[in-house]
Amino acid sequence: MSQMLFATRVKALREGLKLTQDDLAQRLGFKDRQTVSAIETGQRRLSAEELLKAVQVLGTTVEAFTDPFVLVGDEARFSWRQTGVAPDALSGFEHGAGRWIALYRRLAPQVGYNIPLLRRSLGLSKDSSFEDAMAAGERFAAEFDLGDIPAHHLAETIDREFGILVLMVNTVNGVSGAACRLPELDAVLINRHEPEGRRHFDLAHELFHVLTWDAMPPHHVEEAGETSKQRIEQLANSFASAVLMPRAVVGRFGGWDNGMDVGAITSKLNETADALAVSAVALKWRLVALGVIHNSVARQVRDVNLRNNGRSGASQASPPLFSRRFMDVIARALDEGLLSTRRAANLLGITLDDLPELYKAHGIEASMDL
Amino acid sequence: MPPHSGPLLVDTNVILECHRTGCWRALTSRYPTETVEECVKETQTGFQRREPEQQIVEEMLRQSLASVRAVSEQDLAAALVREPLIGHLDAGERHLWAHALTRADAWILCGPDKASLRIGVSLGFKTRIVSLERLLHDIGHRSKTTLGRQYGQKWLDDWFSTTLFR
Repeated sequence: MSQMLFATRVKALREGLKLTQDDLAQRLGFKDRQTVSAIETGQRRLSAEELLKAVQVLGTTVEAFTDPFVLVGDEARFSWRQTGVAPDALSGFEHGAGRWIALYRRLAPQVGYNIPLLRRSLGLSKDSSFEDAMAAGERFAAEFDLGDIPAHHLAETIDREFGILVLMVNTVNGVSGAACRLPELDAVLINRHEPEGRRHFDLAHELFHVLTWDAMPPHHVEEAGETSKQRIEQLANSFASAVLMPRAVVGRFGGWDNGMDVGAITSKLNETADALAVSAVALKWRLVALGVIHNSVARQVRDVNLRNNGRSGASQASPPLFSRRFMDVIARALDEGLLSTRRAANLLGITLDDLPELYKAHGIEASMDL
Repeated sequence: MPPHSGPLLVDTNVILECHRTGCWRALTSRYPTETVEECVKETQTGFQRREPEQQIVEEMLRQSLASVRAVSEQDLAAALVREPLIGHLDAGERHLWAHALTRADAWILCGPDKASLRIGVSLGFKTRIVSLERLLHDIGHRSKTTLGRQYGQKWLDDWFSTTLFR
């Protein structure tokens, strides 16, 4: 397994520089490309001298070949939901986030968590209508039995039924979340400090991207928000709205338009959104899509009065960092000596003394010796 | 057991634990204690990844050590090719093993992380791994502050006999 790390890294780094096996063989002083081919398939071990030569020739570091907890080359594709984040800041954050995903990918199978062999997808395309996307969302909520408050069961369902890694993370300012696709694993990152309703919407939105990635590859960067001008994002929003607010679930809250003034509708939107753990703005546009309230009425309800579901800046508790499954993988890997504790703390951006608290927050019983 | 007379290699965890429990002076005055540059860096505030952090004056730390070794890219490459699991360690632990593998003398290593221990065993150096408790016991030092569990001889014996080979 570990020898295969060298093999895959040599190939990834070579392809990243658009070199052929012949090119690399020549630069490393091998007589033909067969030697490079043998290295890239793990049939031939790389010597220390050859490793150093490869570092020099490919203009990289020893760690790039040997660090299992980093994503290299084109092996991962991210799609970020963000607002006004500088490219350099996003790039730096993506590198760190890639380490969490690489950590999970490497260690999960070693401690008994199988990454799914197959991945599922939605039968939608760019030509699908918003109604198609909403119908898919409705069916998703029904078929996976998301219940009366779908938002409360979505993350667990995605994890359990799809094997998608869902991580609640601290992000740079302006990042709401991301979907990430690796050849063998999908992941969703959510800014855990966003309001609850926003987090759930981001999760459902990123789920759409994961489930439609091949048919509709998302852009690397997109603007956050429940409204968007890009078609794929609009489809993702339609899907997300229907997953979190299926018609039957919304119907439990009665009528909206008959004689209620704007103030009453605003109050009811905020209360209902709280009950469904969604944002009141998303609920408003969902009700319009369902034909429950008229567009002209919705436009009279000002978004500023729906911000934080009508609360004046009151902060809600954030979920604990990462996820139960992720931290369980870390705990098992540390216990079995597959990862050093200091390395884990470094990769997670915490202290060793934070680890017991994080285990506790996720209900994980693990010994913490260091 | 008489104290080991050859070089003692220690990692960041051990340096921090010795300072926490007040046994650093006793240890380094009796053992020719060595570490690597990366571990020295990790003992400084902002790099300890412990809370609360301890104030360890770098100059005094260096003076107390028999040597602080620099680790070359060549040493690292050789170590990682020999045992790729070294890539699962933190920088200081990784550099310490990379350095140890360059030596032909009778070094012993004190580093309590399970991953570091696993690598030591995998490389055939189980008998060179010692617990901090054993080192202090052999020089007759009794720490006023109790050592963390993972620095104890029983913990190390248990790890070797059960966990590692399950």
